[in-house]
Amino acid sequence: MLTLILETVSQFLFVLLSAPLFAGIFGKFKARIESRKGPSIFQPYYDIIKLLKKETLVPSGSSILFRYVPYAAFGVYCLIALIIPVLLPVPIIFTASADFLGGAILFSLAAFLKMAAAMDSGSNIAAMGVSRLASFNFLGEGALITVFIAVSLITATDNPYTTNAYLVSNPSANITLVHVFATLAFFMIFLYETGKIPLESAGLQELGMIDESLNYEYSGRLLAMNKWSGYIKQYLLGSVLLNVFLIPWGLYSTYPYFLLDIPVMFGKWLLLIFIVMVIETTLAKVRLFKILDYLAVAFTFSILFLLLSEVMH
Amino acid sequence: MNYESIVFLLSASILISAFYVQGQRYIISMIRGQLVQSLLIAGTTFLLSYLNHSIDLLILGLLLLFLRGVLITYLLETKVPRRKSYVFEEGVNVPYLFLVDLIFIVVAVFIIYSIIFSSLVPVSQPGTSSTLLFPLLLFFQGLFLITSRRSTFSQIIGYVEEENSLVLFAIFLLPVPIVIEASVFLDVLALVVISSVITVEKFSHERMEELRG
Repeated sequence: MLTLILETVSQFLFVLLSAPLFAGIFGKFKARIESRKGPSIFQPYYDIIKLLKKETLVPSGSSILFRYVPYAAFGVYCLIALIIPVLLPVPIIFTASADFLGGAILFSLAAFLKMAAAMDSGSNIAAMGVSRLASFNFLGEGALITVFIAVSLITATDNPYTTNAYLVSNPSANITLVHVFATLAFFMIFLYETGKIPLESAGLQELGMIDESLNYEYSGRLLAMNKWSGYIKQYLLGSVLLNVFLIPWGLYSTYPYFLLDIPVMFGKWLLLIFIVMVIETTLAKVRLFKILDYLAVAFTFSILFLLLSEVMH
Repeated sequence: MNYESIVFLLSASILISAFYVQGQRYIISMIRGQLVQSLLIAGTTFLLSYLNHSIDLLILGLLLLFLRGVLITYLLETKVPRRKSYVFEEGVNVPYLFLVDLIFIVVAVFIIYSIIFSSLVPVSQPGTSSTLLFPLLLFFQGLFLITSRRSTFSQIIGYVEEENSLVLFAIFLLPVPIVIEASVFLDVLALVVISSVITVEKFSHERMEELRG
C-alpha cells in the first residue's frame, strides 16, 4: 500500500512539476537551431511564478465561469495524469476511475470548458479563436477518441496499462498495420493539439492563432493556471504517444526501481522533442483553412484502421 | 517470411493511394496517384504469382505494369493542358470528400462485406477472406471519385480505379482466365483512348450539360 501511494505521488508530482521543463527544453532547442541564444530551459517556470505574483484582471460582464474554469481545467488534466501511463507502467490508485476512452473524453471536457470560459469573456478575439477551435475540434477530438478505440482493439481492452504491457511483451504487435497507422494518426493529432508549427504558430500577435486566443483575456493567476495546464496537456499527450504508441519499452514498475522511470521518460521525451523539432523547423505553416484537410486525413486514418482492425480480427 | 501480412500491407497502401487521389486538387497528382496504385496492384500480382506459381498471374502483372503503369499514365498526362503542374480542379473540399468516403467505407464493411463476402474463400490465399475487403473499398472509392468530381480527368481516373478494384478482386478471389483479364484491359484502354479524345474537346462536365439536345 505504501508503495502504491509512493508511486501515485511520484507520478502526479512528476507530471505536475516536469511538464513546464519539457516546454522549456523545446523552446531552447528550437532557438539554438534558429541560431538564437534563446530563453533558459526554466523559462516556463519563471513565467508561471511571475504570473502567479501578478494582479488578476477579470473582464466586466464575465461570469463565474470565466474565473473558475482555469482551475477546473487544471483539475481535469491532473486527473488524467493519474489514470494513464505517463510515468509508471503499472496501475496506481486512481487508475480505475477511467479507461482510455475516459481519458480522451476528459481531454475533450477540458477543451470544452476552456472554450466556454473564453466565450464568457465577451472578447472578439477570444470568440474568433473559439469559432476556429470549434470548427477544427469536431475532427480533432473525434480522431483522438477513435485512435484510442483503435489501439484498444489490438488488445481487446480499453485499459492503457494492458495495452502497454501487451506491446512490451509482443514486439511484433508494434509493427502491425493497425498499430502503425494509429500511431501516425495520434502523432498528427499530437501536433495539432499542442499547436506545433505546420498547424499553429504560437504568439499573441499571430493571425493564425487558435489555442492561444483562448487565453487572450486572462491575466495573473488565471493565466498562470491556463499556461500550466497547457504544459501538462502537452506532457500527457506526448507521454501517451511515447508509452502506448511509439516506444512502450523501458519502464520499470517495482519499488524502488520505478524511480528510474524518470530518466527514462526524459530520454524518451528528448527523442520526441527532436522529432517534433525537425518537423517544426523544416515545414512552413499551412493556411488556416487547410488545417481541416490535415485533420480530415488524421480522422480518416483512425477510422479506416479502426474498421480494418475489427475486420482482421 | 509472412507473405500474408505483405499482401495486407500492399492492399492497405492501395487503399491509401485511393484516398490520396480522392483528396487531390491537381490533375497531374491524381494521374500519378493512379500510377502508384496500378504499380502497387502489379506488385501484389507478382507476389501472388510467386506464391501460387502461376504463370497467368505473372502475365497479368506484366500487362498491368505496361498498360496501366506506362500507357494509360502516358495517354492521360499528354492530354493535360499546358503548364501541367498548375492545372487543378476547383471546389474540392477535402474534409467533406473524406467524410463521405468514410461513410461509403462503413457501408461497404458493415453491410456488404459482413453479409456476403466474409463467407467467401479466396483460392489464391486460403483462409484470408479479409483481404477481399480491399477491392470492395477501392471500388467504392472509384465510384465516389466519379460522382464527386466534374473534370473529365477525375472521372476517367475514377473509372480506372474501379477497374483496378475488379482486377484486385479477381486476383484475390481466384486466378481467372487471362482472356477475361485481357478483355478488361482492352476495355480500359479503349475507354481511355475515347475519353482522351473527349478531354481535348471538353475539360469538365457540368451537371445537366449532357442531356441537352
